[in-house]
Amino acid sequence: MGRPTHLCNAENARASCRGAAPARVRFPRPVSVEEERGIEQRGALLHAARLVAGERGLDEVLDELLGEAMRLLRADAADCYLLDPARRVLRCAAARGFADPLVGFVYPADRGVAALALERGGPVAVETYGEAVHELPHAAYRDFDRVLAAPVSWGGEVRGVLGAGLRREGGRTFEPGALDLLEALAGLASLALAGEERSDERARQARIGAALGRIAALLSEPLSAAQTLDAAARAAADALGGEFAAVLLPEAGRLVVAGAHRVPRGLRRREPPAVLVEAAADGRSVAARRVREDARFADGWRRAGFEALLAVPVDGGGRGLLAVFFADEREFGRDDLEVAGLVARAARAAILRDRAFESERIARALSQQLARSGNALEPELDPVAVLAQVAEQARALLGADAASVALLEGDELVLGAASGPDLEGVVGTRAPSTGWLGGDAVQLRAPVSSADVSADVLHGGADAVLERGHRAYAAAPLGGREGVVRGVLAVYAAEPRAWREEEIEALAALAGNASVALANAELYRRLALEHAQSSAILANVADGIVAVDRDGRVVVWNAAAERITGVPASEALGRTPFEVLRRELESGQGGTNRLVPIMRGEEEVWLSLSEAVMREPSGEVAGRIFAFRDISAERVLERMKSDFVSTVSHELRTPLTSIYGFAETLLRSDIGFSDDERQTFLGYIASESERLTRIVDALLDVARLDAGTLEVQPVPIDLRTFLSEAVDASSQPALGNGGRFVLDLDEEVPEVRADPEKLRQVVDQLLENAVKYSPAGSVVRVEARARPEAVEVTVEDEGSGIDASQAERIFDKFYRGDETQPGTGLGLFIAQGLVSAMGGRIWVRSEEGGGSRFTFSLPVANEAEAA
Amino acid sequence: MNGDAQARTKVLVIDDEAPIRLLCRVNLEAERMEVIEASDGPAGLEAAQAGLPDVILLDVMMPGLDGWQVAELLLGDERTRSIPIVFLTARAELRDRARGLDLGGVDYVTKPFNPIDLAPLVRGLLDRVARGEREELRQEKLAELRASMSR
Repeated sequence: MGRPTHLCNAENARASCRGAAPARVRFPRPVSVEEERGIEQRGALLHAARLVAGERGLDEVLDELLGEAMRLLRADAADCYLLDPARRVLRCAAARGFADPLVGFVYPADRGVAALALERGGPVAVETYGEAVHELPHAAYRDFDRVLAAPVSWGGEVRGVLGAGLRREGGRTFEPGALDLLEALAGLASLALAGEERSDERARQARIGAALGRIAALLSEPLSAAQTLDAAARAAADALGGEFAAVLLPEAGRLVVAGAHRVPRGLRRREPPAVLVEAAADGRSVAARRVREDARFADGWRRAGFEALLAVPVDGGGRGLLAVFFADEREFGRDDLEVAGLVARAARAAILRDRAFESERIARALSQQLARSGNALEPELDPVAVLAQVAEQARALLGADAASVALLEGDELVLGAASGPDLEGVVGTRAPSTGWLGGDAVQLRAPVSSADVSADVLHGGADAVLERGHRAYAAAPLGGREGVVRGVLAVYAAEPRAWREEEIEALAALAGNASVALANAELYRRLALEHAQSSAILANVADGIVAVDRDGRVVVWNAAAERITGVPASEALGRTPFEVLRRELESGQGGTNRLVPIMRGEEEVWLSLSEAVMREPSGEVAGRIFAFRDISAERVLERMKSDFVSTVSHELRTPLTSIYGFAETLLRSDIGFSDDERQTFLGYIASESERLTRIVDALLDVARLDAGTLEVQPVPIDLRTFLSEAVDASSQPALGNGGRFVLDLDEEVPEVRADPEKLRQVVDQLLENAVKYSPAGSVVRVEARARPEAVEVTVEDEGSGIDASQAERIFDKFYRGDETQPGTGLGLFIAQGLVSAMGGRIWVRSEEGGGSRFTFSLPVANEAEAA
Repeated sequence: MNGDAQARTKVLVIDDEAPIRLLCRVNLEAERMEVIEASDGPAGLEAAQAGLPDVILLDVMMPGLDGWQVAELLLGDERTRSIPIVFLTARAELRDRARGLDLGGVDYVTKPFNPIDLAPLVRGLLDRVARGEREELRQEKLAELRASMSR
C-alpha cells in the first residue's frame, strides 16, 4: 500500500459517526436502524476493498467477496461466474449459500439471469426468477425467487457475472440500493480480476487498491454526501497519481464542484469550461494532456495550477464528471481511463446510497429540528423576540452561516432580525419589496433560492445580509392572515451552496411556524395590552365587576367588588358567586338593575345588579359578567324620604283634623254650644294652627339649612335667664305624674353670642324630646356650665336612652329613634344646624337604659359686645 | 235590635290627641250616641273590655302601643272580637289603609275628616253588621282600595 490507510471496522465507524456528528444537527439523537445498516454496509464494502487490495489469489478473493455480498445484501446465496469468451460459456469461480458444490460448474452463456446481465452490459434485478428464466442453468437455483446480477468488467469487456439471490420460502425482498451495492462489489471483483491479469503492475494495482480502500475507509466515516464526494475525489487523485481532483455535478442547471480534493480555491469558483459541461451531459470522458495549450479551456482554467486533466463520467444523482488534475503534462492510456472509470463506478453506489440516505436523514433531522423550533417558538410572546428566534432557528435548521427575517412595511422589506457573525447594523435596513430575491419570495409567495448569487445579476442594495459577503441565498415567504405575505425568512451561506429540496421545504415549514408564532405573539401583545387596559379600568371603576366562566367560576373580581361584598378577590376567584356570597347572582334571563340583597358580614347590602351573558359563536354560554352597585345607602335614604313624606303628611294632618273638625263642628246649626265650649273649640283651632305653622317653619329651616341660606343674628344672651324662661314655658303641659325640671346652672355663666329665636328653638326641641322620651314622674335636668371661651348647655333625661348606633345617626335628617312617636325626624337635625350656624357644637352621650344627655356649646360673647 | 232605634249606641274613641277625641265626642253625642275615650293603646284595650262598645274608632299613630297592635289584640280577644273597628288615620297611603282592613278593621277614616260624617258612618256600619254583613263590608272596602291602588 502506498500510504497508510485510515481503516476502521463497523464498531469504531459507528463511534466515529457519533463523534463527528455533522455540525448542522444540533441535538444528539440515537443512531437509527437505517444508519446502523448504512454503517454496516460501508464496513462490508471496506472489508471487500481490503480483500481486493490484498495479496491473495483470485478465487479466494472472489469467494470472500461473495461472503461480503451476502452480508451486505442479506442474500441467501451468491455466486460468481467468469466468462470464457471463446467458448461462450460461464464457469463458476465461487459460490456461497448453495447445498450443491457449484464451483467449476459450466453452462452456456445464453442462459439464466447472467445472460441478461451480459446482454445488457449492466446490472439486472429479477423479481420472479422462475418466470424470467425459462431454463434453469442448475437445479441449485430452483428455489430462488428474487435474483440480482451485475457484470464484472475489465479492459472494456465483460469478464463475468456476480449474482445474489433470495429463496422463495423466505418471502423477503432486497433492500433498495442492493443492486448498486452489488455493482460496487462487481467493480471490486473487476479490480481483483485486473490485479490477477496485470500482476506485472503490482505497484500500480496496489495504488489503485489503496485508493479504493480510501474510498471505503472515508465512506465509513462521514454521513454527509459532500464528504463522500470529497472522498471519491481524493480516491481518484490517489489512484491516478493526480495533484488534485474534483467531482463535478449538475445543480440548478449548472455544473458545480460538489466534491473536491486539494482543488485550489480559485478553480473551485470558476465556471467549468463548455467542454466539461458537454462531456458531463453526454456521459463522455475528457482527456487533456496539455491544458496550457488546449483551446477547449478558458484562460482561467489554463493557469489554474495544473497541466493535464482526465475526466470520466460519474453518475451521482445526475450526470457529472470525476476530474483528476495533474501537475505535469501527461499522456493518458487506456488503463488510466479504466482506473478512473472504476473509481467513478465504485464511488457511484456509495454516493447514491449516501444521497438517498442523507435525504432521508436530513429530512428527518429537519423535521425534528422543525418540531423543536415549533416548540421553542410557541412560548415566545414578544413579537421582536419571535423574529430573533426565528432567525436563530432558521440558521441552525439549515446549518446556514446567517439568517434574517424581514417584514413587509408598505412596499419595503424591513429587516427585523438577523442571526450570524458580523451583522451589526443590518437590522432596520430596508429593501424594496419588488427587489431581487427577497422580493421574489414576496411576489411569488413561494420559496426562492440561489446556490451562488455572485453569478447572478447585480443585486446592489437588495439585501444587507447578502452584502456582508454571502454567496448562497434561500428564502421563504412569511404568511399572514388570508394568504397575505407579511415578510421573508432568509438563510445565507458564505460559500456557494446548492440548497437541497428538503432544506427549502424545511425553511418554508419554519416560515409557516414562524408566521403562526408571530401572529400569536402579536395577538398576545394586543390581548395583553387590552387586558392591561381593561384591568386598569376594572380596578378603577366604582361598580363591582364580577365575571364567571362557563362553569360559573369567578375569573374576575375587581377592587370595587371586594369593597362592596367585603370578600377579597383571592377568596372569590375559582369559586362560584353562590359559594362566595351565599346568594345566586345569575337570574337566568339576564336583565339590568335587579335588586339583590347580600350579606357583607353581619350587614345587609343591597345591590343593583346588571348581568350580561357572553356567548360563543355557537351560541353556547361562554361566561357571564355581573356589574353591581351598593345602593344600600340610597335605599335607606329612599326609605327615609318616603317615610318623611308620610310622617310629614301625618304631622300636618293631625292639626288639620282639629282645625277642620272644630270649624265644621262650630258651623253645626243643630247643636247649641255653650260659650265655654266655643272657647275650647276656638282655642284648639288656634293652638293647632300654631302647631301647623311650627311644622311648616321646621320644613323651611331644613330647606334653608340644605341650601345654606339660614341666617342667624347673634346677640349677647344671658343663659341663666334665658334657660329659666324656656323651662318655665315648657313645664306647663309637660311632665305629668310628679315629673319635674331641675335647673342646675353655674353661678357665673358668661353671656354667649346667639340668635335668641334660634336658641329658643334648639332648647325647646331638646326639652320636648326629653319630655317625650321620659317616663312619667321622672326628672329632666337642665345644666349650664362655663367652659373656657364657651358655655355648655345640657338637657338630661331619665328615659330609656339610646344605643350607640342610634347616637351616630340621631342628628341625621329624617332620622327617628322611635317611629311610633309622632315627629318629622327633623328636630335634632335642625337643632344641630342651628347650633353650628351660631358657631357651636351639639352632641349626645347616652347609655341604653341610662337616659340621654344632649349637650350643646355656644361661644362666649366678647367683652365689647357684653358691655 | 234595630227596632229599638233609640237604644244608645256606645262608641269608644282611642286617640292620643285630645282635640280629636273631643271632636268625636261632641259630634257623636250630638247624634245621641254614648262616647267613651282612651288616650293610648293600653287604656283603649281596658275600656273596650270593660265598656264593651258597639264600635271602636281607633287611631293608628300612637306612642307605645300603636293602632295596629291594639286592633290585633282586640280581635284576638274573645270578649272584644265582635266589636267592629274603624281606623282613624292620618296615614294617607293606600297600603296603610289596606293594612287596617287586612288586620280585620271594617272601615277607615282618613284624617282630616268631617266630624259631621262620623255618626252616619257609625250608624250605617252598625246596620250592615246587624244584618250579618260585617265581612262583606270589609271585602267591599278592600275591593275599593284595590281598585284605587291599581289605578
